[in-house]
Amino acid sequence: MREAVRIPTSLRVALIAAFLALASNLTIVGFLYFRTHDDTMAVHRQRVGEEASALFDVYRTGGQKGLDAAIHDSLDAEDPQLIAAVLAPPPQASLGNVTAFPAPLYRLRAGYQEGPLRIADSAVPVESGYVLHPLGKGEWLLSGRSFGERLSLQRTLERSLMIAVAASVLLGLLCGAVTARYVSRRVGAIATVAEDITRGELGRRVKVSRSGDAFDALGLQINHMLDRIEALMEELRLLTDSLAHDLRSPVGRLRARIDAALTAPSEERRHQLLGGVLNEADSLMRILTTVLEIGRSEAMTSRKQFTWLGPDELVSELADMYEPLVEESGASLSTKVTGVLLPLFGHRQLLAQALSNLVDNALKYAASGGEIVLLAEQDDGEIRLGVSDRGPGIAASDEAEARRRFGRLDASRSSGGAGLGLALAQAVAHLHRGRLELQDNGPGLRAFLVIPAAVAA
Amino acid sequence: MGRKILLVEDDLETASYLLRGLDEEGHSVDHVGDGRDGLFLASDGSFDLIILDRMVPGLDGLALLRGLRAAGCATPVLILSALASVSDRIEGLDCGSDDYLVKPFSFAELLARVNALLRRADGSAAMADPRLIVADLEIDPMARTVRRAGKAVALKPREYRLLEYFARNAGKVVTRTMLLEQVWDYHFDPGTNVIDVHVSRLRRKLEDGFEQPILHTVRGAGYRLGPDA
Repeated sequence: MREAVRIPTSLRVALIAAFLALASNLTIVGFLYFRTHDDTMAVHRQRVGEEASALFDVYRTGGQKGLDAAIHDSLDAEDPQLIAAVLAPPPQASLGNVTAFPAPLYRLRAGYQEGPLRIADSAVPVESGYVLHPLGKGEWLLSGRSFGERLSLQRTLERSLMIAVAASVLLGLLCGAVTARYVSRRVGAIATVAEDITRGELGRRVKVSRSGDAFDALGLQINHMLDRIEALMEELRLLTDSLAHDLRSPVGRLRARIDAALTAPSEERRHQLLGGVLNEADSLMRILTTVLEIGRSEAMTSRKQFTWLGPDELVSELADMYEPLVEESGASLSTKVTGVLLPLFGHRQLLAQALSNLVDNALKYAASGGEIVLLAEQDDGEIRLGVSDRGPGIAASDEAEARRRFGRLDASRSSGGAGLGLALAQAVAHLHRGRLELQDNGPGLRAFLVIPAAVAA
Repeated sequence: MGRKILLVEDDLETASYLLRGLDEEGHSVDHVGDGRDGLFLASDGSFDLIILDRMVPGLDGLALLRGLRAAGCATPVLILSALASVSDRIEGLDCGSDDYLVKPFSFAELLARVNALLRRADGSAAMADPRLIVADLEIDPMARTVRRAGKAVALKPREYRLLEYFARNAGKVVTRTMLLEQVWDYHFDPGTNVIDVHVSRLRRKLEDGFEQPILHTVRGAGYRLGPDA
């Protein structure tokens, strides 16, 4: 097995940033060099070299005298750039238009070089390219040409570019270091929060600055995720608490009935009581199933069983199912479909169950009030499926309790039902990315499952 | 008329409860407690019905069922499961089971469903006479007309479907949840007597003006269509 070489992420970020900074700087430097460099300098060097060897040839053939004459002739030609001289260490006199050695004697060397020279007609040293030839006895032949403005400029530019390259390497490294520090500081903040969460401090959240950059977006997403997890955990805790609490009464009733059956005086009475035990057990099972259903819906696990269905069909099927029962209890059931309804992508079974819970509620609390209406409407991209009744309705202050699992508005809990009807309807609405709306029907209640029509998208 | 039933169930208590009950009904039941053995036995196709627990060791019940259906075995399957949510039931039915019963269940409910499945398997084999005749009741599924002792009985479409389902299971107990599932295609428990009201309306139409009751209530179980037992 080969162990991959692990480079710490912050170092990697630093290297990448440095490399990018360097690359971009080098590109600019290269571009400048390419645009400004030409062969003027090379021509200049060649010319200086040729003139110098011509003078040296004169020296070899004509000796000191010939050389002196040649230098004089050259300078007489009034070429402003020309530099020619025989330099001798003091006290001997020098010849030509150079007034001083370009460097201390011991550092002089033969060959082509560039640098400032003190020229007879110029107050300041002049940048030039020149060739030095030792002539013996401490004398040097200097022959060259001053650069002139253009060449000086180019030389300056080339030197500057060299410096720029060096500087860009340094800047690149600096840039990398700064970037890496910044990134690891921002990521580190998120990691610290994650660590705290792992340790159990679930209330911790990533601090989000107001700059709205990618790190903030990441932090926001993580915070959203944490909020959702916390809400789910809270929900779970509430549910377990309420299960433990609210299952006590049906289990208690069950126990009481068994107790009574055990001590029943007659066989017939025992039979009757045992039948009641069965019913009680069944309703307990129903409560458990409904609680499970609510949990499933809130956790959005049933969405893969969604199909396309007609909301008006759903409503009319339910009306068909409930109509006899409602009539028996002395009320009337009708359907009211408003407008053209688009098909709905949803869970037929759960939607039907939610609506049947709403009808059941209407029957339970409002049968005396007369008319119960199953409603289906389309409104602004939302499909509204609901039930209206003429019962006592739900006061605004009671709404939260009505929506709660095992929430009951009559404190005595005497009438049947476990208080799960609206909670299930609400969970089913949430499963369809919708909501449960409770409205005043003046008098009565209008309970709607409001579902966005485009839920399939 | 005993039938061969395969029971795949790992819980011994449930299994012996079912073995005893089905044996009393005259069926011969083979029992295995392991999914793999179950698939092995089931795939030879010699059983009339398979009762399958959804969570058995060896091979998960739904996987067993899928394997069975993939192998072309059409034996009716009744799933027994403690997974009770609507989604679980739909998933089971989508996997190719013919019925889904949630634990804990009453034996009457199970027996009614077993009988309905066995009968349905027979029915699909012999469909010579499309008319359904129960005592003096005559149902014509093609024309959707009902006559009792020669007199026409006017039914609403839903009442007709209810009656047709009763008639196809004539003489056998049909439970409320079976009606809800088969006639309304709802797999949740409405928890009210919504079905009872439908049945009593149907009963009124069938029995008003006649001497003999024909649609009976079976206490603690459901209903039965047929002449007096």
